[in-house]
Amino acid sequence: MTMRAVQSVFPERFVSEPAALRSRAAWLEERRTRAMRAFQSGGVPHRRVEEWKYSDLRSAIEAERAEAGEVIVLPSRDPFAAIAGPRLVVRDGSFDLPPTSHPDNAEILDLASLDDNAPEWVSRNFGCVLKSGMGQASLALMRGGAAIRIGRGAEARLHLRFLQNIETVHSRVLIVIEESASLLLLESHAGARGVANLGLEILLRPNARMTHVRLADPAPDAVMVEEIGVAVARDARYKAHFPQAGAKLSRLELAVKLEAEGAEAAVDGGGVLGGRLHADITTHIEHAAGHTTSTQLIKYVAGGHSRAVYQGRISVHKGADGSDSRQTAKAILTGERAEADLKPELEILADDVKCAHGAAVGDLDADSLFYLRARGIPEPEARELLIRAFLEEVVAQISEEDARAIVWNFIENNLPKALDEVA
Amino acid sequence: MNLLEIENLHVSAQGKEILKGLSLVIRAGEVHAIMGPNGSGKSTLSYTLAGREGYEITAGRILYRGEDLTPLAPEERAAKRIFLALQYPVEIPGVTTMNFLKAALNAQRRARGEGEFDALSVLRLVRETAAGLNIPEEMLRRALNVGFSGGEKKRLEILQMALFEPSLAILDETDSGLDIDALKLVADGVNRLCAPDRAMLVITHYQRLLNYIVPDRVHVMTDGRIAAEGGRELAQELEAKGYAGFVRDAA
Repeated sequence: MTMRAVQSVFPERFVSEPAALRSRAAWLEERRTRAMRAFQSGGVPHRRVEEWKYSDLRSAIEAERAEAGEVIVLPSRDPFAAIAGPRLVVRDGSFDLPPTSHPDNAEILDLASLDDNAPEWVSRNFGCVLKSGMGQASLALMRGGAAIRIGRGAEARLHLRFLQNIETVHSRVLIVIEESASLLLLESHAGARGVANLGLEILLRPNARMTHVRLADPAPDAVMVEEIGVAVARDARYKAHFPQAGAKLSRLELAVKLEAEGAEAAVDGGGVLGGRLHADITTHIEHAAGHTTSTQLIKYVAGGHSRAVYQGRISVHKGADGSDSRQTAKAILTGERAEADLKPELEILADDVKCAHGAAVGDLDADSLFYLRARGIPEPEARELLIRAFLEEVVAQISEEDARAIVWNFIENNLPKALDEVA
Repeated sequence: MNLLEIENLHVSAQGKEILKGLSLVIRAGEVHAIMGPNGSGKSTLSYTLAGREGYEITAGRILYRGEDLTPLAPEERAAKRIFLALQYPVEIPGVTTMNFLKAALNAQRRARGEGEFDALSVLRLVRETAAGLNIPEEMLRRALNVGFSGGEKKRLEILQMALFEPSLAILDETDSGLDIDALKLVADGVNRLCAPDRAMLVITHYQRLLNYIVPDRVHVMTDGRIAAEGGRELAQELEAKGYAGFVRDAA
């Protein structure tokens, strides 16, 4: 694959400089060549592609930047600093773990160092879970990343931190959680206003557990795409918390396949947007086997000219009887020019399933607002209180107390964004 | 002194006239009861007094301590010590009862130009007041009204009334849905707050509450007006005869 050929097909800003990885692993290069071919047929998605209707990635990347050339580095304070545990860093798309800090109960590899002797848990799975278009791009164009394996029965807690100081980053992470093992992953991002395209592949073996807390606070003119593919085996559970702060374009796409009985996924997210920020959570949950469970709870508060997007597709495969899926998406608009696009989509091919879903866009509850004001709380303060109350339900899903407090703090810090243009 | 003077008040909500020339005078230190059937405009009166949006005064006026009340926002009325206990207190998840009480108390004090209470002073004040009303501390740590029983919600309304020390307290159907013990507790809370500088307006459908809160004056409200007025014996008469007689009389 020649980078020059790539550059002529994609917007210049889409390809990272320094150039993408050239791996010594033939199997990997072959997969990346295939991924490139698959991606090239569609290219960078834009608003005429149905799944990207509310998130026009191509024009966000092509648009003139406010101050061209200069890259502003944001202070890289780690939001999870107070929580102990080994820290893995992916810097500008390359894995950056000092060799001494390897945790005992996890195997960790640098994707850039893979060769034809790569362990089977990597070569068998890497590039095979995430199939989305942008996922192909992150595979084909990646500068590097990490492969993480939590051994059978182990309990691990890891920080995964992405730092970005260059214009464009494509990066990949593979996580394999072996049978009956569990992982708490605290993912955070700090970086310049640039373009980031990250691909995460997660495999949960039977009875494995994962809690995934992701905090991203990109610059307001950053373009950030993260695609996560998760395969959940029998009796395994994937739990994800995705609070959003928004960016020029921020897309979090999650595809979960519940592969066998007892597999479970619980996803929540949303947050506070203002100004011209955009946040998109797009999910696809596949109930590929019977007696699988999924729950989703998404809540946005959108002020100013912001745009909040949730697209949630649930597919229940033929014969996946006894599946139970719940999906709730709500948005409150606090700005007259704000927009929320909530799009649930159900494809149910099994007969005996429970499926509850609801989506609603509205204003703050008038009775509650009056109640607070009648007790002396001025209107702006009362609104803020009700917005907190609205979002609290999302944060309450996080069972790890310290992580919950950090996420709540993150949301509270964003609250003023939604209230700026109330008056 | 006339604390509240309502003169020929006409109020419309959603384009429909609900109060049709209501007049009422309440002096400091008095307890007044307004009784009336469903749809007579009782709640419209209480919302109008509290300043809720959507209730349009088309004629008449409301004077509070001689001052026109109508241009004031609900929070400004609260700061001027008007308190409305609601029939259905709202549930607000994510905000603990204690934090809400602190926010409300300090917002009112701020608006009056008084110093704010620090967290410890609020805690002490709320604890003391709550203990007198049989409100366990555990309730104060829970989210505001979330999962509270009907009786607990009403007790919390009375707790707020005690904390905010209103000059005019309006109790809108505070008795609805309460069993006799809860009713006594609420009435006891109200009676303890009776003071020479404070007036109460008790709005109720039933005479039952007035066995425990004894009013100085009773007003019968039908079709957006006061149809009859009298002493406490009027409440008993209503209980015996029902509202039908008054509706006819008023016509």
